[in-house]
This record gives sequence, structure tokens and C-alpha cells, in this order.
Amino acid sequence: MEKVSMVFRKKNCMGCHACEVACKQEHGLGVGPRLVQVLEKSPDYIPIYCHHCAKAPCKEACPVEAISRNEQGIVLIDNDLCIGCRECLEACPFGAMQFEDSQEIAVKCDLCVHRLEDNRRPACMTVCPTGCIYLSGKKSIAAVFEKTTRGGSK
Amino acid sequence: MSEVKFVKTVCRSCHGGCGVIAHVKDGKVIKVEGDPESPISHGTMCAKGLAITQLAYHPDRVLYPMQKTNGDWKRISWDEALDTVASKFKDVIAEYGSEAIIVGQGTGRDYESHFSRFGNLLGTPNILTAGHMCYLSRIGATLTTCGRHPAIDYANNPKCIVMWACNPQWTNPDEYKGVSFWRAYEKGAKLIVIDPRKGFLAKRADLWLQLRPGTDAALAMGFFSVIIEEELYDREFVSQYIHGWDAFVERVRKDYTLKRVEETTWVKQDLIRKAARLYATTKPAGIHWGVPTEQTNNCTDFTRTAVGLMAVTGNLDAPGGNVFHVPPPVRKVAEFSAHTELPKEQVKKRLGGEQYKLAARMTFITPKCAWDAILTEKPYPVKAGYLIGTNPVVSRANAGEVYQALKKLDFLVVQDFFLTPTAELADIFLPAGTWLEQNHVAENWKFHGYVLARQKVVEIGECWQDHKIFMELGKKMGQQWWDSVEDALDWLLEPTGLTWDEFKKKGYLHGDQKYYKHLEKGFSTPTGKVELYSTIFEKWGVDPLPKYTELPESPISQPDMAKKYPYILNAGLRTPTFFHSANRQIPWLREIRPDPIVEIHPQTASQHNIEEGDWVWIESPRGKAKERAKLNDGIDPRVIVAEHGWWYPEIQSSGHGWDVSNINMLTDNSHESMDPVMGATNLRVLLCNISRCEDE
Repeated sequence: MEKVSMVFRKKNCMGCHACEVACKQEHGLGVGPRLVQVLEKSPDYIPIYCHHCAKAPCKEACPVEAISRNEQGIVLIDNDLCIGCRECLEACPFGAMQFEDSQEIAVKCDLCVHRLEDNRRPACMTVCPTGCIYLSGKKSIAAVFEKTTRGGSK
Repeated sequence: MSEVKFVKTVCRSCHGGCGVIAHVKDGKVIKVEGDPESPISHGTMCAKGLAITQLAYHPDRVLYPMQKTNGDWKRISWDEALDTVASKFKDVIAEYGSEAIIVGQGTGRDYESHFSRFGNLLGTPNILTAGHMCYLSRIGATLTTCGRHPAIDYANNPKCIVMWACNPQWTNPDEYKGVSFWRAYEKGAKLIVIDPRKGFLAKRADLWLQLRPGTDAALAMGFFSVIIEEELYDREFVSQYIHGWDAFVERVRKDYTLKRVEETTWVKQDLIRKAARLYATTKPAGIHWGVPTEQTNNCTDFTRTAVGLMAVTGNLDAPGGNVFHVPPPVRKVAEFSAHTELPKEQVKKRLGGEQYKLAARMTFITPKCAWDAILTEKPYPVKAGYLIGTNPVVSRANAGEVYQALKKLDFLVVQDFFLTPTAELADIFLPAGTWLEQNHVAENWKFHGYVLARQKVVEIGECWQDHKIFMELGKKMGQQWWDSVEDALDWLLEPTGLTWDEFKKKGYLHGDQKYYKHLEKGFSTPTGKVELYSTIFEKWGVDPLPKYTELPESPISQPDMAKKYPYILNAGLRTPTFFHSANRQIPWLREIRPDPIVEIHPQTASQHNIEEGDWVWIESPRGKAKERAKLNDGIDPRVIVAEHGWWYPEIQSSGHGWDVSNINMLTDNSHESMDPVMGATNLRVLLCNISRCEDE
């Protein structure tokens, strides 16, 4: 099965935070865990998100094998298996792993796998006004950056 | 388990217009998504709109009418509520006249037509809106200059975009959303950004002009200085379609040399020259301008000068320039509003009508006149208020005075979602519906050529959409209305040949767009030309030519005051999560922005021993507010930038901390500080000092 991956073109992120709210809504999350988060250092905006790493440090750190990588390359966490030890939070180099206090479990971006099954884009991607969020399949992530229009040439 | 139903509608979490698909299950909206078929938003939505379910189903939302007795709110029925309001209003009218009732709204929830109709049929000329300093002020200024509001035409790909005091990807998208701008920009348009603050767009711009806040009108004159000197204007257009060109040129040559413009605006002469050349020589080019230009004493003159720039460069009503969009043939807001029903003798009583002539012509008043009349009973007493979707104790200038005035009213009705600091002062609270609870021919007042079907998705509690409340209250007052909200929409739509039910299925209508309409019929002004020299202003005894008037409170106009208050406060910084005073209680949004932010240049901060994250007092001659420091080296060290609209819903006591972080505790609303024809309050630029809060 074809692997998918997501990238944010940081230079086109303008800090509107729409992706964050779309994600919370899609995953029914309240205050606390932010599966995608945009840090503000005006005029720069830095999206923090799961890279679904090929050799995922979160997966390697998990002592109970609650984290797995599916055939599309999406790194998923099984909430029933998670023991809430937070090893994965420490292991993630991006700060993308989050913790849900009410259930005392780790939570993470699942690339809206349920939407992908229906051939719909991840929720964050649908709302971005500059289209800075890309979902890349066959083509490598590098190709996303090559296929720049104006944003990349400047 | 019932199935999920999908309903198409239109957002109104800000000025609105974005297409939405609402997901409904068991009679409740469980999710909203952008509608890819929307001609306005193309499937995107912003944080505010996406959070609507948290607003609509918020535990603090008031879901039934309430009456306050002896300081306590108690639930009443709609009949009791409307009967009480109608009988109180009738008493006030009998004793003091209809003009003793102020009818006011904020940005509004797309009910301008119904709001104005209610006011007119009530017989009060005292209609209070944000229009004196927001949007309607540009409609008034463009109306008198070129006959209609010229919005930038992104659909036809401007080759040069001037983003003037606006960040449409975050906020205030009147005609156009950020996505329309971005599409045009991505196609390779040159970008000129005029902003005192280095934001996302300034960083991307070909030219960024970092001006002294509030000097936009002077900068626009600087553009003209270059365009005239280098003869970059369209000679044919100027000779045929500009009224007053020679007088205008004389003024520019005399008063706006580039050297002088640089001194006023802080923008280097060569940068002004480059920007003016780029704008004037790239075709087509469009100007997209924002509300900060309107919230100063130069409100009208800036817009008039900007229209002049569009006109002389040949970009007015040219595809890809600034165009007069042709609306679909729906009945107009003005017709629905029944302005002609307001008796002439009542029109004459409009507060400040003689002084603020353009505001009066646009049928509203500046708030200062309302507060004066309430507090001093001059020129006559104002005794009652009906405020809809507005929180003036937070959002209007000189908040302390606003609070005193509203407190003094004998009878106040507030129509809203929550018990805001303003609503806490009311006697009757009427629970309004959100945009999810509204049937309306939306955006009929905008100048983008569309009307959109906002259809009711759900009903929540006993809330009514505002339109219905105006109607039912109006009927209790003996006014002429339709039987139902939908009957009124049928009437609005009649010229299109569609009923509301048919329109709702269609989703939207677009006007039959034509360009260069002046070639056939000139411009809709008294001379048929673009009036750089306004014959209307001349008749009113006002300077017929636009100019820059120094800000009422600046180091230049108030050097003594500047000794104690050395910084220029640029108030009213927008955020992508809040809309004026709204949304502070929405968990998803407040998590993103938990505190009010004041931006300070690192150099200035260190002089005051302020570090990132410190609470800071911002103080003006009128009052103070505290906000949290964010260091930003993208602003001038002489400028302090502060957010507006803050109150704390989580503070349970009455008032909800309305005066703690409210930047309008500092702003001025004196008559001397306002735009002379529009009564625009100077919300954006004043003098201030800062200090670290020692008690935090």
C-alpha cells in the first residue's frame, strides 16, 4: 500500500490556528492536548506536528508496544494499550506527542486515518487558507517543495 | 442512533461569508466543515468559525429571555419579555419622544436591514452602530467620492496588490477572505504592505512601508506627490473623469512634498517613491484597505485619497483593480430598512446630525453623542436603550464614560448570547440565535456581488434569530412587518424570481458583472465624476479636498503630554481567534490565546525592566489597562501595540473584569479628536506610557 506523509511548508504558515481548531473538532479533544500547534514568533509561525517518522522515536520508546506504524506509514497509538507513562512524549524530537489528562493516556496525530479511508483530506489540511499543509503520497516530500509556485521562489 | 445530516449554510463568526457544511445528529450540530463550493471561501474556515459548536452549546449561554429584578436575573417567557419592552418603550415615547430611545448594534449578525427598520419604524433617529469608524464609514466616503464602494477584484488577478492596514488572513474580511488574496498573490502579484508592524505579509512583501501609526492619509498624499511629479497618472481619465484635479494637485504640491511626508509618516522618501511607482505603473493594481485607516480623525480623508489613487491610475472599475461589483437583483438593505418612514422632524433630532453630516446621511450617530445625551440630558434626555450584539463598555472609546452612561439609563434591553459586561447592566435580556440558528439572505449589504443562503441548521433553547426578535417586538409596538422571517426573505428575493426555499437550494446568487461602467453613465456623484474636490462637502461647508490632519494625540500635536506619555499606542491589535470582545469564553480559542497581549520592542522593554510574559500596565491620560508583554522587534521602538476587546468571562462577579485589560479605558472620544464629518472615534492611536505590574 502506498505510504503517505504530511508536511507543513512553514514559510507559508501565517499563524491563523485554523488547523488546530479543525483538529480538535475532528478528534473531539478539549483543552490540553494539541495534536497540531502553531507557535508564534511574529512574523514567523512555527507549526509543531507529527512527522510520522519512518523510524519513530515514540514507537521505539513505548514499553508496551502501544504505538505502531501501519502499512501507509501512519504512526498510530492504541489508546487501550497505553499505560500513560509519557516515555513517548519525551522521545519525540518535535514535541508532537500529547497527553490527555482526563484519561491519563498519550494521544497523537493519526493523520485523520478515518477520513483518508473515505478519500477525504485530513481536517487540518482542509481549512488552511494558504494551503501550506501537504499530504504526500507517491511523490517524496521533497517533491512538494520543488513544486513551489511563488512561495518557494521568494 | 440516528444518521448524520449535512446542511449547507454560511458562517457569521466575524463579518462572515464563508461557506459551511454543518453536520447534524439528533438535532444537534456536532461538527462544521468548510464548503468547497463556496465562491467566497473555497472550502476554508477559520478558527472562530470552526469553534461555533463550542459557542452555540456553551454552558454559560443564555437560552431564554430574562428579567432583572432587585439585581437578580429571572427567567421569563418571550411574551412577558416583549410585552415588558414594548410597554416601557411606549412609556418613554409618551413622556420624552421616540428620540429618547437609542437603538444600537455592534458589527452585527447580518441583521442590519431588520435593525434599521425597527429603529425607523420606532421613530428614533438615534441609531448607534460601529459604522462611524468601521466599514460604513468607507461606504460613506466612497459614496461621496465615486458613487459606490470599489472593492479589490481578486477574481481577475491584480498584478500588484497594495495591502493597506489589513491582514485579511486573520481578520476583518469585508468583501474578501484571505484565501482570495492568497490565490491572487500566489499567481505572482507584486505585494506592497503598509503596516506599522512586521507581520506575515510584511515579511513576504516586495515593499513594506512601516509608517507611523495613523498617518495613512499623509502617506496616500505621498503616493500622489510621486504620481503627479512623475506624471504616472492616466491623463485621459483625469481630464474626463476627475472633478477638481487642478485644486487637488495644487494642494499636493504645496503641502505634501515627499520630504514633509517622510517627516510625518516616518517612511523614507525613496521607499514611498518606489511604492508609488510600482502601484501606478503595474496594471491592473488593487488596493485592499483595512479598518485602522478609518478609526482615526482622518477616516474620511484617507478613503477619499485612496479612491483618488485608484481613479487616476486607471484602476477604478477595471478588471483586477478596484471595481464596483454588480449585485444580484435582490431588494436592497436600504429599501428593507424603510429609512423614508422616519418622519422628517425626527431626522432633524438626530444627535450630532448637524455636526457629523456624513454620519447623519448614512443614518447613524457617533456614540459620544449618545453618552453625552444620557449623562447631561442635552440637547434632550435619552432614557432607554436597546443594544443588539454589542458590548460597548469594552469595544467603544472611553469605556469608563460608556459604562456610566449605560448605568444611568432608566431602561436597557440587551440582545446577545452571553451575559457580557454590557448585558449585566440591562433590565431585560433577549437570547439571540447564532448563525447556525438563522435563515437569511446573507451578505446583501456587502459590495462583492454575491448574496448567500444562510439557512437555519438547528434551534437551541428558546433563542430566536435576531430578525425574528425585531419583527415580533416591532409588531408589539404596532409596526408593519411580515408574518414570518421567511416571508420577509421571499419579499427581498422577489425581483430575482426565486422564493427563499428555492434560493436556499441554490446556495448563492452572483450579479451580472460589468466593468468600466462610467463609460456609459459616468460616476454616481453630483458631477458624474470622481470628486477629488467634493461638491457635497463644499455644500456642507467642509474642506472639499482631502488632507492629512495631524492626530489629536501624538508627539507632534501634544509635545507636553508626550513628556509623560512618550509612546505611541497602536491599540486594537487583531487576533485570529477573537472577534472584538467575542469568544473569550470559548475553550478551543482561549487555549490558543489565554491572555491579552501587548507588543513591545525589546529595546523599549529593557528600558522598563520588562521581560517576555510580564504583566504590563499601559496608561494614558484617561486610564490604564494591563496586558501581557510579548517582545516584537518588528515594531518601531517608539510604538506600543495592544490587543483590544478583553474582558474575563471566567470572573464570576458582575462586570467580569471589564475594566482590567480593556484598552478602551485609555482611548479618547472627545469631539475634538474625531473625524469632522463622520464622527469616527480615534480608537487606534494615542499617547501612552508603560510599566511592569509589580503586583503580579
